[in-house]
Amino acid sequence: MWKVTLKGLAAHKLRLAMTALAIVLGVGFVAGTYVLTDTINKTFTDLFTQTTKGVDVAIRTKETFSVQGNPQRAPLPAALLDQVRGINGVRVAEGNVGGYAQFVGRSGKPVTTGGAPTLGVSVGSAPELQQALTLREGRLPAGPDDVAVDAATARKQGFHIGDRVKILFQGPPREFTVVGVLGFGQADNLAGATLAGFDLATAQQVLNRVGTYDEIDIVAASGVSPETLRDQVRAVVDPRYEVLTGTELAADQAKAVGQFTKFINYALLAFAFVALFVGSFIIVNTFSIILAQRTRELALLRCLGALRRQVLRSVLVEALIVGLIASVIGLGVGVAVAIGLKAVFKAVGADLPSTTLEIQPRTIVVALLVGVVVTVTASLLPALRATRVSPVAALQQEAVAPPARAGRRRTIIGALVTLAGVGLLLTGLFADQGNRLANVASGAVVIFLGVGILSPLVARPLARLLGWPFAHWAGEAGKLARDNAMRSPRRTASTAAALMIGLALVSLVTIFAASVKASVHKVLDQTIAADYILSGPSNGGGQGFSPEVVTRLSQQPEVDSATGVRINVFKLDGKTQQVAGVDPISYGRTVRTDTTSGSLSDLTSGGIAVRENTASDHGWKVGDTIVMEFPVGGTQAEPIRAIYEDNQLNGPFLLALPDYERHYADQLDTVALVKARSGVAPDVSRAAVDRVVADFPSVQVKDQAEYKQQQSQQIDQVLLLFYVLLALAVIIAVIGIINTLALSVLERIRELGLLRALGMTKRQLRAMVRWEAVIIAVLGAVLGLAVGGFFGWTLVRALHSQGITEFAVPIPTLVGFVVAAALAGVLAAVFPARRASKIDVLRAITTE
Amino acid sequence: MTETGLDLGERQTVAARAVDITKVYGTGETAVHALAGVTASFPSGRFTAVMGPSGSGKSTLMHCLAGLDRTTSGQVWIGETELSQLNDRQLTLLRRHKVGFIFQAFNLLPTLNAAENIGLPLAIAGQKPDQAWYDKVIDAVGLRPRLRHRPAELSGGEQQRVAGARALVSRPTIIFADEPTGNLDSRSGAQMLGFMRRSVDEFGQTIVMVTHDPSAAAYADRVLFLADGRIVDEMADPTAERVLDYMKRLGA
Repeated sequence: MWKVTLKGLAAHKLRLAMTALAIVLGVGFVAGTYVLTDTINKTFTDLFTQTTKGVDVAIRTKETFSVQGNPQRAPLPAALLDQVRGINGVRVAEGNVGGYAQFVGRSGKPVTTGGAPTLGVSVGSAPELQQALTLREGRLPAGPDDVAVDAATARKQGFHIGDRVKILFQGPPREFTVVGVLGFGQADNLAGATLAGFDLATAQQVLNRVGTYDEIDIVAASGVSPETLRDQVRAVVDPRYEVLTGTELAADQAKAVGQFTKFINYALLAFAFVALFVGSFIIVNTFSIILAQRTRELALLRCLGALRRQVLRSVLVEALIVGLIASVIGLGVGVAVAIGLKAVFKAVGADLPSTTLEIQPRTIVVALLVGVVVTVTASLLPALRATRVSPVAALQQEAVAPPARAGRRRTIIGALVTLAGVGLLLTGLFADQGNRLANVASGAVVIFLGVGILSPLVARPLARLLGWPFAHWAGEAGKLARDNAMRSPRRTASTAAALMIGLALVSLVTIFAASVKASVHKVLDQTIAADYILSGPSNGGGQGFSPEVVTRLSQQPEVDSATGVRINVFKLDGKTQQVAGVDPISYGRTVRTDTTSGSLSDLTSGGIAVRENTASDHGWKVGDTIVMEFPVGGTQAEPIRAIYEDNQLNGPFLLALPDYERHYADQLDTVALVKARSGVAPDVSRAAVDRVVADFPSVQVKDQAEYKQQQSQQIDQVLLLFYVLLALAVIIAVIGIINTLALSVLERIRELGLLRALGMTKRQLRAMVRWEAVIIAVLGAVLGLAVGGFFGWTLVRALHSQGITEFAVPIPTLVGFVVAAALAGVLAAVFPARRASKIDVLRAITTE
Repeated sequence: MTETGLDLGERQTVAARAVDITKVYGTGETAVHALAGVTASFPSGRFTAVMGPSGSGKSTLMHCLAGLDRTTSGQVWIGETELSQLNDRQLTLLRRHKVGFIFQAFNLLPTLNAAENIGLPLAIAGQKPDQAWYDKVIDAVGLRPRLRHRPAELSGGEQQRVAGARALVSRPTIIFADEPTGNLDSRSGAQMLGFMRRSVDEFGQTIVMVTHDPSAAAYADRVLFLADGRIVDEMADPTAERVLDYMKRLGA
């Protein structure tokens, strides 16, 4: 029996190659994702080991908050350093600080990194604590005018020793003299970050850390181990402070990055899953067709006494081998994919430092396991069907395909599965319980399965409808193409289903993106009274800018009011919430906020304003006091001064600016809004704003129209990334079409030969195959748009309270997808069509 | 094993037996009675031909006898086993060990060579061939020089002899041959029939052959004539002429 399986496999190499390709790509994606994220992790682990070199013990405050993976910590008081220096076993102790510092390039534009931070740090004065740095040129900074630059930035920007450079800070920008160029061991920069090094006093001043430290680094006296010293220090200092050895610190920093890469990992794996899911449809289809073609062979085995179990096992072993081989190749492809994904990240602005690719045993195991399990699982259904082949089939001259099962069972099962999927999806989207994301994802998967089950029922009428133009305008070839697409609804449907999944997701993200754009535009139109919107660099990783900008703008005679919005997080009952810190007076003049009780101006004396639905959820009213936990300010009771209607911009909490300044370390405006004085011409007011901003090159000024356009561009960029990531699923689906058609051609050799014998030209034959492919592709696309439209609609409905108020369907884009699908069909038909036209007429009609 | 002759006690000599079997396809008005009560026994070590016009039910009879298809009523025995009580697994094992097949379309696996095709039933059963028996069968079909060839490299006659060897190799209680010469030219057909005759005479094999070719039927020990799902006549020691005459009358 093994021999039969193996020889059968060898004989069907070509047919299975396409199946394997689907797995190769899917597994490649999985392996590539792991390789990529492992490589990133490795890079950062190396990096932090480098940056903590020489540090035996470090002290910092415990992390209270984490914003998008960036831990927020309160600064350490200067007095702590004196206390630490008095501890036994401490040889050297130094405080250091770090924060926002952005170089301005020679062109006058700020130096951006594409996601990595732009760091300003203090450079230690003790030689032991300078080991992380490798002085490449010049000297270390020692005075208020000195700055050291990382080697990569120096090289890219052409900064040389002695050059004057302008640097942006939270406060006003300043100019410095470059005194040194720094490397970090072998590396020229820290994972893409730019770095400006100052002496401690200067750093404290420009980074808004006067009198405080972010971290105290300690070198142990000789003979004292870091662990011993750590315990000694821990015993002395206040328990609010975290005391770690250098090794622990490096590991902890790497862990923070690890959490971020884990997110990337999951996100990419989700797309890999989509690709594999689509691939599994291809496997089901290919195995079904191949096994149908081998009906007589299977029947013969059954005649000769093969048990159903043996037939089943033989098919599964075949799948296992295909899966294994494909997975091994996929692993190799994965490494290439990792390189490709790095390029994708780079293209969207997230440049990753290069290191040799990290391939862990786990990656190999997961990749092989995933490939094999998917292949074998997907082949289970066709394999079970194969066991139902009656032995009598071996005695019949024509292999008769078993009649399609009664539609009613399929309708009921399909409908139930689809409904179950919709239920899961809606639960995930609208019910605030359980793992919502898991519910949404599994709901989508189940819906796809359900629609996949139902699709053979609609395949015939839909193919008739979609094939109408071909049948009427493409001659006999078109007519036959439509008949062929209709004759095996199950085959047509499952081929189309693969494309359906890809296109459903593509149209989902398209519709969602359009809805987000429409919603954003509406908010801007309705709530922003400001004429200009100021923000940090668009690819600056959400960095804010100095509040100095708003201060100066407010003083301009052309400006009616200018207000900065600082966004940060706090904890309410242990849950992290977002808050915007605003000056109530100027904010009220630039943003329309309707209050239901109290007034925004009541915030001038401190306190918070709460959005109406948030307040009613908690049963709050004006005058109540709520307990908020801040990263720096600790736990504070804040009185509610006003309750406002949702305007899609304010968010749930507005905090009076003086309170915000007390509770957070960093004071950067995320956005600033500027309203021109009435009567001032737009070009005049614009000139005034530009004049102020000229001193802050990282700030971008947009009027409302420009801002809308920028928002749209950012959304489009994300959309593009999704398209790229979903492309693989679509490619696999197209491979599925190629595969189905190629197998159908093989199956219909006699029939095609007959058509040729009856006078059909090769060109007509090719056209016939081509139009069939187009019908299948468009069928998949139409189903995909329907499902994707439904997904988009539910998602937009679910996120209504998150500010996605508009449901927009970009019809031209969606029509474009259908056209693209049709073209993909034409492309998919090239190989099978050529094969069909090469059939030897005589042999086709005489053999067997 | 080598008893021939019709006069031996039935209990030991019957390889297969049908007792009043019927087979109805479909229900109600559209019902087709493929077999309308057939009773027949097939003695061990005998070569029986089943003849009849198209639609007479001869193929259905064979399918039912071989355990490939279930009867609507009546009983089928292979050796001591009654088939209607068996489940799919038991039927499969029965086919594996007790029944051999020769098909009109040869039905060899194109991916296996001749030797592998011959050994397939044993391979499915997970058994090793009895070498002496295997050699005997190979020599009987005269295929020794062609054993390493794939079916596509063999002539139709050779392919059918491979199929014949495959049927013999597991020493089944009974071999069913469905138009074994239907796809062969007359010379290859004669060779094949000669081989089947020899396997009955020399090895004591029991063979039931469905055919509509009178000259093929002439190789058998007896012929059963089927019409409209019933056995209408039986002829011992047939010759081609007698069978042809009878068929003409039956057809008229």
